[in-house]
Amino acid sequence: MTEICLYAQVHQPFRLSRYRVFDIGTGRSYFDDEANARILRRVAEKCYQPANRLLAELIRQTDGRFKVALSLSGTVIEQMIAYAPEALASFQDLVATGGVELLGETYHHSLAGLADPIEFEAQVGRHRRLIERTFGQRPHVFRNTELIYWDDLAPLVARLGYRAILVEGADRVLAGRSADHVYAAAQAPQMRLLPRNYRLSDDVGFRFSERSWDGWPLTAPKYADWLAAGPGASRHLFLDYETFGEHQWEATGIFEFLRALPAACERRGLRFTHPSALARRAPVGELAFNRPTSWADQERDTTAWLGNRIQDAAHERLYRLGTTLRELGDEALLEDWRRLTTSDHVYYMCTKWFADGDVHQYFSPFSSPYDAYIAFMNVLEDLEQRAGVVVGG
Amino acid sequence: MFGWEFPPHQAGGLATATVGLVKGLLRVGVDVTLVVPFPVSESPVAGLRVIGAEAPTRLRVHRIPSPLDPYGTAQGYADGILSERGRSGGERSPYGGDLMAEVERFTGLAAEIAAREPHDVIDAHDWITFQAGAMARAQSGRPLVAHIHAIEFDRTGSDGNPQIARREREGLTGADRVIANSHRLKRLCVDRYGVVAEKVDVIHWGIDGSPEGAPAERAQAPFGPTTPIALFLGRVTSQKGPDLFLEMAARVARLVPAAHFVMAGSGDLLGGLIERAAELGLAGRVHFTGGLGGADVARAFRMADVCVMPSRSEPFGLVALESLLHGTPCVVAREAGVAEVIRNAIKVDCWDLDEMTNQVASILRHRPLRDELADRGRREVGLPRFSLDEPARLTAATYQAATASRPNQGASR
Repeated sequence: MTEICLYAQVHQPFRLSRYRVFDIGTGRSYFDDEANARILRRVAEKCYQPANRLLAELIRQTDGRFKVALSLSGTVIEQMIAYAPEALASFQDLVATGGVELLGETYHHSLAGLADPIEFEAQVGRHRRLIERTFGQRPHVFRNTELIYWDDLAPLVARLGYRAILVEGADRVLAGRSADHVYAAAQAPQMRLLPRNYRLSDDVGFRFSERSWDGWPLTAPKYADWLAAGPGASRHLFLDYETFGEHQWEATGIFEFLRALPAACERRGLRFTHPSALARRAPVGELAFNRPTSWADQERDTTAWLGNRIQDAAHERLYRLGTTLRELGDEALLEDWRRLTTSDHVYYMCTKWFADGDVHQYFSPFSSPYDAYIAFMNVLEDLEQRAGVVVGG
Repeated sequence: MFGWEFPPHQAGGLATATVGLVKGLLRVGVDVTLVVPFPVSESPVAGLRVIGAEAPTRLRVHRIPSPLDPYGTAQGYADGILSERGRSGGERSPYGGDLMAEVERFTGLAAEIAAREPHDVIDAHDWITFQAGAMARAQSGRPLVAHIHAIEFDRTGSDGNPQIARREREGLTGADRVIANSHRLKRLCVDRYGVVAEKVDVIHWGIDGSPEGAPAERAQAPFGPTTPIALFLGRVTSQKGPDLFLEMAARVARLVPAAHFVMAGSGDLLGGLIERAAELGLAGRVHFTGGLGGADVARAFRMADVCVMPSRSEPFGLVALESLLHGTPCVVAREAGVAEVIRNAIKVDCWDLDEMTNQVASILRHRPLRDELADRGRREVGLPRFSLDEPARLTAATYQAATASRPNQGASR
């Protein structure tokens, strides 16, 4: 019997304000509280709350046979506490149904795994404590920021007590094998890897409302047929939670689709499962990721975050500050710094295909990657000054 | 084609754009007869030499003696070239009684030429030539395309000269089709002159030159090899915002103590700005070069770490593309036509001096930012949509549409 593992990522960054060079040293706040509140409330209203209600209803209707996994970054939880407590309550209600498995990640949805193992461990631990405190559940499965994964990450995550990691089912890694199985990590044999079936995932995440797509309109029965087809043991469908109501607006029929999905799957003998349950399956083989792989873009690499001069410069200068700040032990400084480690900030600086007007800019609060870099570097310089550090550009 | 200037006789970006258009049109197979309302002291061959080897056989330039100066007192960065030829560089007003008489004379002569020269379509550039175009149409019955690069509102920031505005309105509304060089200019024509929107095609200017051919090496600055430099290059007139550049320079100078500023170009604000620079304590750090031509323009771009185009009004803004082609990052006014098409440049509201300061200071302070902008910008202007062929192809299509909308009425050919 084919198992369906549906997982969604819930994240919002603390967006920076248009922090200017003469703001350095003035004590002006780094973050655009107004924009952050506005966006969080909008997403809560259009996505989180209706989607949570629907998922909870489906879990109850099916007596728990419908299952999902979610991971919520620390920054989105903090913003819900500050700006939309009712949204956080609706997540808690959803988790209370018992049908939701919560995953572990870095608290600040950061690239610390790539840059700073000590910081990575700190953020993962802090996230685990937050999830336990907020939802009464301890995560056993890990997903790194944007599914960024490579071989060296597995032993590190294993040491932190996790049993499985969600990874991108990239063609170059699978090399002809199917994403629809559980694998073992090359450098940590006990660690299970769950590769994302990007085709089936993106059918919903990206193509659902695309009228030029030959799969349009996508109905639950049609999609369930696709899920049931093929030999693999399980289908790993990993999405942004904002797919439901934000990336795909309500008017596209995305909620009706989701509502009809459990019954359509059950009629075809498909069963929903959680990542931790899959982690107990015997692996069919080993997957080696010799370089960082993500779920982004066609390249499935990290160039959306670290792919040009300004991203690299910002990233390097940011992480150069980490050790000093942790030693300094000033919580306010450290917290501001950690909010800067959120991967979205360097994502806004992406210039790949910028000349063609690409998707990266859709999510950016800045009018160009260059303006994003300017604000970020000004903030970082102010932070360096507060920490008494002379880093130098 | 009724133009108003042609290199080496040029006073601003329009000449470059006209050459670009003509070159492109020749390449896509359109024969061009160019009629220019300018006194001609140089031989047409000199002008044609710029076009390329095979061009002389297909491009014919008629010059009509006239003291017309499209920019009036506003001298472009080719000012030096103009004065070398002994043209008046003085404060002659473009709106004097003589001007309209000259336009009338041009109109009469140009229409005569139109009666003589075979043509399928008439393309008239800006208000000075619109009436000539209309006369030509009356003569030949061929369709008229009004090619608009700037209107009075752009040049003056208000309604401007009512006679000129009237000629613009009549020329634009009377033409069979209109070509505007930006969406912004199209909107202005529709809003201010009541031009039917469906009749207006937006065709952005292209630029001649590929980034592959242009080495990215920086030119040595006379102020020291590592001195950060911000450049203003354009007519020193209110429209182009050189005063805004100077006020910004004063702010940037405080944030980037090593920075120097180059202001290349001349115009009616020049004297006042030199005084203002001294007043701001920037006498040693702001360098006024006067008008530059040819190789000096290229050198100015390559010396600079950033070129700023803070125009209050800028129908297109070719300087931005030239800057990027030379590997120099650009900060451009958000309202400029060029801002509609170029992405790897930083955009700013011309009145927002704080933001402009922030952006320029950041480019001067952060090498990776400068390099990324330079590299991406240079590659972007190398894309086909910035080539000369692209606007030429679109212009040829507009000619076709104009011809289809106005079948030959049987007049002379």
